[in-house]
Amino acid sequence: MIAENTQTQMRKGILEYCILSIISRGEIYASDIIAELKKAQLLVVEGTLYPLLTRLKNNGLLSYTWKESSSGPPRKYYQITAEGQAVLSRLDITWKELVFAVEISMQGRKD
Amino acid sequence: MNKTIIININSIVFHIEEDAYDTLRSYMIDIKKHFGNTAESKEILEDIENRIAEMFNERIQTGRKEVINLEDVQQVIQQMGRVSDFEESEGAAGGEDFHHERQAGQAPHIEYVGKKLMRDPDDKMVGGVCSGLAHYFGMEPIWTRVLLVVFVLLGGSGVLVYIILWIVMPAAETRADKMAMRGEAPNLQNFKRSFDEEAKNLSETFSGTGEHISRSARTAGNVLSGCLGLIGKMIAWIMLIFAGLNLLGLFIFYVFNMMNFFGLENPMFFPPLKGLSTNDGIIALTFGFLAIAIPFFALFFWLTRILFKTDKLNSYLSLTMFAAWIVSIVGIIYYCIATAQDFREKSTINVQKDIQPQAIYNFAEKDIRVLDASEQDSLQSKFNVQLDGQDLRNYLHRDISIYFESIDSLSQPYIQYSYSAKGRTYQLASERAHNIAYEAIQESSTFLFPSHFLLMKNALDRDQQVRVTVYLPRGARVRLQRSIEPKVRDISYWECLNNYPEEARQQQKYTEWTMSGAGLVCIQKPQPTPKEEEEEAVESKMKALLNEIKDRKDSVIRIGDSDVTIEVKDNSVRINTKKQEKN
Repeated sequence: MIAENTQTQMRKGILEYCILSIISRGEIYASDIIAELKKAQLLVVEGTLYPLLTRLKNNGLLSYTWKESSSGPPRKYYQITAEGQAVLSRLDITWKELVFAVEISMQGRKD
Repeated sequence: MNKTIIININSIVFHIEEDAYDTLRSYMIDIKKHFGNTAESKEILEDIENRIAEMFNERIQTGRKEVINLEDVQQVIQQMGRVSDFEESEGAAGGEDFHHERQAGQAPHIEYVGKKLMRDPDDKMVGGVCSGLAHYFGMEPIWTRVLLVVFVLLGGSGVLVYIILWIVMPAAETRADKMAMRGEAPNLQNFKRSFDEEAKNLSETFSGTGEHISRSARTAGNVLSGCLGLIGKMIAWIMLIFAGLNLLGLFIFYVFNMMNFFGLENPMFFPPLKGLSTNDGIIALTFGFLAIAIPFFALFFWLTRILFKTDKLNSYLSLTMFAAWIVSIVGIIYYCIATAQDFREKSTINVQKDIQPQAIYNFAEKDIRVLDASEQDSLQSKFNVQLDGQDLRNYLHRDISIYFESIDSLSQPYIQYSYSAKGRTYQLASERAHNIAYEAIQESSTFLFPSHFLLMKNALDRDQQVRVTVYLPRGARVRLQRSIEPKVRDISYWECLNNYPEEARQQQKYTEWTMSGAGLVCIQKPQPTPKEEEEEAVESKMKALLNEIKDRKDSVIRIGDSDVTIEVKDNSVRINTKKQEKN
C-alpha cells in the first residue's frame, strides 16, 4: 500500500514535467501527447491527461489553438508559453538534482 | 434489431444504440460528478467529450458501420479511463489543488439521489403502477397491490386512482430510468450491476425455459398468482363489457337528446334538460356526456390495453381527455348552480273572472291534445296554430290544481286564476308567470278546464303552476265530471262516487255536490251496506209481528216447523211443545 502510494506520487510528480517537456518540442495534439506518454509507460488512461492540461494552461504554462481536422471535429493543439519554458528549465535542474540524489543513494546497493 | 438514439457531441451527430447510450450517459454523469462543477471542470469535460467524439468518429465507417454500439462505448471508456482510474492517479498526488478538487468532486457522491416515481414494466400485473409505487416508497409491491384492491372494493375509487396514476406515471423503459426509479445513483457501478443482472436474467430465460415452467407449476405462490390472474382476467372482461355497454348507452342517450334539441322529436328526453334553453341545453348535455363518458372510456381503453396488449394511448390525447373531463365537471357544476339560482324567487299573478250564476255548475276537463274538427275556432285551434302539432311536450304543462271555495249565497260567482313561476329575480319570475296562458272555457252551464297550460315565448320550465279557485255561492249545485277529477284538490271525488249505488257507478260520469259553508259536500248519501240491509229487514219483520200480536186478543204462534207453539190467552202466555201434548 505504501509502495503503491509512493509509486503513484512519484509518477504524478514527474507526469507534469514530462508533459511540459513533450509540449516544449513543438505544437502538439492531446492524443499525440497520450501516445507519447503511453510509449513512456507513464499514463494508461486518457482521461487523466485532460485535468492536468487544463491546470497547466490555467497556470499560464501552456496555451492552445484550435485547428481544423481533416477527419472529425477541430482539435486543440497545445504549445508551451515563455513562462512554461522558464518553469521547464527550473524543473530540468530539479530533475538533474533528483537523478543525482537517487544515484548517490543507490550507490553501494547490492542488487 | 436495435433501437438507436441520435446524439450530438460537439456538433457531430452520432447514431448510438440504446444500451450503448445508457452506458455512455452514466459514464459522463460519473465524470461530471468526479470533476465537480467549476469553470475548470467544464473545460475538462469539453475536452473529454471532444475526444470521445473523435474516437467515435474513428470507429465509424460509412456504409459499413454507421452506428456506435455498446462495444465501441466500452472500448472508448477503457481508453479514456474510468473514474476509479482518475482517482488512483490523483489520489496520491497530494497537491492542494487536488485535495480541493476531490472534495468538490465528492460532494455529489454523498448527495441523496432522489427516486423517481415511474411504472416498472419488469414487475407488473397490469400497468406496473403498484410496483412503481412500491419502489418509490421502498416497500414490497404486494402491499401496494393489497392497498389498491382494498380501495377498489371500497367504492371503486382505486380504479380511478390507478387510471390516473397510469396516465401520469411514465414507464421506466431505459436502464437509467429503472435505476432512477429504484433510487440508485445512475453511476457506472450501478449501471454495470443492472446490466449484468439483466444479462443473467436473459440467459436464464433462454437456457431454462422448461425448467422455469415446471418450477412455476411447483410453487404454490405461482399457482395462486395464476389463479388470481385468471380471476382478474374474468373481472376485466366483465368490466370491459360493462364499460362498453355504458359507453354505448351514453352515446345513444346523447344522440337522441341532441336530436330533441335540433327539432327531431323523440321520446328520449332527459327531464332536467327542460330547465335549460336550447343553447345551454346542448352545452350542458355535452358536458354531462363527457363527464360520464370519459371515465368509462378510460376504463374501457385501460381494460382493452390489459386484455389485448394494445398500445398505450397517446399522452397528448389522454391529457386532452383529462382536461376535457375537468372542464365538463366544472361546466356541469356551473349549470347546476346557474339553474338552481333561476328557481330562487317565486312570483304569483292572480286574475279574477266573473261567471254567470247557473242552476247547476258543471265542471269538466278538456283534453287539448285531442283535436276536434267541429271546434276549429275554439281554444284548441289557438294551441294548434302556435304548436303546429309539434313540440307539444316542451310547451305543455299540467301542474294545474282546482279548488272550490264558498262565498255568500247572493254574491256573484267567480273563478280566480293564480299563475306562478320561478326565476333568478322576482321580476324574471313574474315575467314568466305572465307567460302562462290558461283559462277555462264556458259552454252554456259547463266550464271546461283545459288539460294543460301553455308557456308563451318559448319560456323555460321554471316550476310554472296554475292554481284555479272557483268561488261559488252557498247552496249552489255542482256537477263534477269524472275527467276533472285529477285536478281537483281538497275534496275526494272517489269517496263521493262510492256513495252511488254499485250498479250505477260504472255509468256514473259525474258526481253531484252542493256548496256548503265549509266547501263542497257530496249530495249522494252513502249507500247502506248489505249487512245493514239484512238487519233492517229482520227488524221490520219483528215489528210487524209484534203489532199483529198486539191487535189480537189471543193467538197461537207456531214458530217455524218446530213443534213449539206460543199461546197467548187472556194476558197469560203458555209455551207448548208437542212432547208435552203427548204426555
